[in-house]
Amino acid sequence: MTPRKFSLRIRAAGSATALGALLLPAVGSFAQQPGDKPAAAPTPPPSWQQGRSAEQDKSPLHPFAINMTGKPAKELPVNQLKVPPGFKVEVWAEDLPGARSMAQGDKGTVFVGTRQLKDVYAVIDRGGKREIKTILKDLDAPNGIVFSRGTLYVAERNRITRYDGIESRLDNPPEAKVVIDNLDPNKQPGHFWKFLGMGPDRKLYFNIGAPGNIVMPTYMEASIMRVEPNKGVLETVALGVRNSVGFDFHPKTGQLWFTNHGRDWLGDESPNDTLHVVTRKGQHFGYPFCHQGDTLDPEYGKNRSCSEFSPPTLKLGAHIAPIGMRFYTGKMFPAEYQNNIFIAMRGSWNRTIKQGYNVTRVSFDASGKPKMEPFLTGFLQDDKADPPMWGRPNDVMVMHDGSLLVSDDQNGIIYRVSYGKK
Amino acid sequence: MRESRPGRGGAAVASALAAALPLLLFSPASGGADPQTCAACHGPEGNSTNPATPSLAGQPAQFISMQLFLFRQGDRKDPQMTPVAKALTNAEMNELAAHFSKQKPTPPLRRTAAGTIEAGRQLAERFNCIQCHGPLLTGLQHIPRLAGQQFQYLRTQLRGFKARTRADLDGNMTSAAQPLSDGDIEVLADYLSGLNAP
Repeated sequence: MTPRKFSLRIRAAGSATALGALLLPAVGSFAQQPGDKPAAAPTPPPSWQQGRSAEQDKSPLHPFAINMTGKPAKELPVNQLKVPPGFKVEVWAEDLPGARSMAQGDKGTVFVGTRQLKDVYAVIDRGGKREIKTILKDLDAPNGIVFSRGTLYVAERNRITRYDGIESRLDNPPEAKVVIDNLDPNKQPGHFWKFLGMGPDRKLYFNIGAPGNIVMPTYMEASIMRVEPNKGVLETVALGVRNSVGFDFHPKTGQLWFTNHGRDWLGDESPNDTLHVVTRKGQHFGYPFCHQGDTLDPEYGKNRSCSEFSPPTLKLGAHIAPIGMRFYTGKMFPAEYQNNIFIAMRGSWNRTIKQGYNVTRVSFDASGKPKMEPFLTGFLQDDKADPPMWGRPNDVMVMHDGSLLVSDDQNGIIYRVSYGKK
Repeated sequence: MRESRPGRGGAAVASALAAALPLLLFSPASGGADPQTCAACHGPEGNSTNPATPSLAGQPAQFISMQLFLFRQGDRKDPQMTPVAKALTNAEMNELAAHFSKQKPTPPLRRTAAGTIEAGRQLAERFNCIQCHGPLLTGLQHIPRLAGQQFQYLRTQLRGFKARTRADLDGNMTSAAQPLSDGDIEVLADYLSGLNAP
């Protein structure tokens, strides 16, 4: 050890001298900018910065990064979480870094996808203790997860795959069978991780987002599409959808409802993120021309009208980042919760005063008019701080027993909300 | 100008040693991650004395754990750090990150060249370093502390970002480094490495 340390010091001194020789010309080249080689072709900004005005170039607002190694619940203020009277919230599973979309298997296994990691987890409840297995590795942003009739479907950035009979062989998962491939031909940055849903028509629904914050989408982008698992033929379901990473099908009408993220950098209060329903195949919801159904984009909205596009069912709040949404169809919660929608709000970051970081309940009056209220809160600690929150709800899922699971990809934790004595 | 692994002859022995070191010290038998192991390269309490090796003292915990994760996953590659990270669990990464984030950074041994200070300050403002790394360039969340970091290490990272070879979770630094000239990188690394922010 000693000789090694000694040699490091020698090197340090040596390079400091070499450095002195380097610095003078370096400083000189700064003083005379024209003497520098011209910079290479300009690189587009990261997609979250795209669309900033010149003055916003100095904005301190930034997206928050998840804890890639997870964070244990004992180091977090989980006792600050609040649910309405009669409900209870608890940590259900942890050590699931990047936990996002969830799906439950026929035998009770909870499958969990990730976006910034490359893993899919299985969580098995063994008499009140949760066992975690990483069942799939080295995938490309495996965010979308569906379990249906014994098969696990996984949506990666570029493809959708199926794993038949996986729940009975979690330690030795079957090889992936490709449902559809080449969904990411341009391999550019953007909103290309996918949410996945199984429609009542037995087709797989997924999103392909916009390539940047506010960019003219190309073929297949800013859309929701569907594919029949056995045929692999694509159909366009919805267009003008900037970034939807959560949807579900109405338990009675079977219609597709989805959440959508509006563009950034138009101020604290504009535009709203939104909740939509598809009433007609191929409907256009406005992006990049019209936001929240009534606000023309300053650039792309010129010479357009919002009346051309389908408006949202509900405005959810600016930059609040709705991700997973599910209709409540379980038997555990009070009757008035039946067919309500739960939405996980993962933001906001693109506001000077933050909001969201909760699970919101959307209920409907007799005329079908939606009303929203916070259901699970306590993640947001200081709306002016950086970071403002200690956890971020990402997806919601109704368990077979009627309880509601909430994933938090910031910490790799899944919470369970139950009602009554359960 | 090559600074990633200085020296040639002696370096072979040193790097062989270094490659073996993490495996010996982070083996499961040693029972978890001992921060003292890191000090062998990263200096006492994570205050590096090697211009090519970064200081860890006072780095945000989330930055440290994320970098360890990226080394383990293979996005960041380094002959010494990759085997270290491969041997660590998430919990161990979090423990090491928490430990070094709480250590006090010692004042940098190196001084910024007198003529570079103002030029460096201007570059840090012009290229938006302070927008993400904070007004004192001390980092936050997953964004590293730059103040007082080792010169060669900073220069290598900036060159890597510019060359698009350094792993970058969200593309921010790759994008931010593109307009930097070689001269700018020298000045920035010189300026940042001499900063003595609290």
